[in-house]
Amino acid sequence: MDKRGGEDQLILYGQSFPSRLLLGTARYDSPSLLADAIRAAAPAMLTLSVRRQVSGSNHSGQSFWNFVRETGRAILPNTAGCFTASGAITTACIARELFETNLIKLEVIGDEVNLQPDPYGLVEAAAELVRRGFQVLPHCTEDWVLCRRLMDAGCEVLMPWAAPIGTGQGPRNPRALRELRERAPEVPLIVDAGLGLPSHACQVMEWGFDGVLLNTAVSRALDPVHMAGAFANAVRAGRSAFLAGPMIAQDTAAPSTPELGRPFTT
Amino acid sequence: MFVIVNNLVHPLPEPRTLAALLLSLSPAAPFAVARNSEVIPRGTYEQCHIESGDRIDIVHPAAGG
Repeated sequence: MDKRGGEDQLILYGQSFPSRLLLGTARYDSPSLLADAIRAAAPAMLTLSVRRQVSGSNHSGQSFWNFVRETGRAILPNTAGCFTASGAITTACIARELFETNLIKLEVIGDEVNLQPDPYGLVEAAAELVRRGFQVLPHCTEDWVLCRRLMDAGCEVLMPWAAPIGTGQGPRNPRALRELRERAPEVPLIVDAGLGLPSHACQVMEWGFDGVLLNTAVSRALDPVHMAGAFANAVRAGRSAFLAGPMIAQDTAAPSTPELGRPFTT
Repeated sequence: MFVIVNNLVHPLPEPRTLAALLLSLSPAAPFAVARNSEVIPRGTYEQCHIESGDRIDIVHPAAGG
């Protein structure tokens, strides 16, 4: 595929998506606000979770599901909240039964404070889920050895964080993120978590990342709908800039106006 | 004789199948079920026998990031 042509698509496990933005569905003030944000972002996929039904809200899950289905967006279930590999595996299995998809956003959290992924549990769960036929998108850090282990386990997509979930700090470790991009040029890399501003999303897309996954940056904005649109534009701009081939930054100044023929030089 | 459904105690149904339990609980669709952390495929609820003390999880779609 000529990425400079008109067919630049995000391809994950053989599925093509016209958008490079994945959107979480949590922490919106109302379903209608979420619906408007989805329209503004036009995301490739929506992330969902599985939860036990809350007592007294017998049909809330049903109406939420009906609403999500009506958006026509692909679903990416997650294993959010799991602190063990076994818990994540069970959650993934029941998510597959519920959503009828082999795709799973794999989260195995190792620290309650910064919600940092547990690298050991993540690799263990990823290997088992791949063995069971899942298409695993692990939420990981930018650590190269961890990413390599996940690829060795059979993950064809990686989702390194920019910063801890929900912080909106933007890329904390730009050098390592860019090195990851350079060392895994053929693996789809989606920056998942920690982005807070459209400029953050644009930045990582300019670095050549394949997409971004957002939730809090949109849902907790003062105006989530406008922010969803701003992120969508930023992702497109960053991708276009990457494909256009940015200039190499120089240490010394160079005049852009031609020197030849300049009058009044003395 | 009881089962634990989503951390709450429920009487064991008769017949002792997952299908009978779900009939009595009437969870809103869509849902998926695990018995003692093992996912039970849709379409096998009639054949899934449950015993006293079993832990049954019934889950639904929810918002997520």
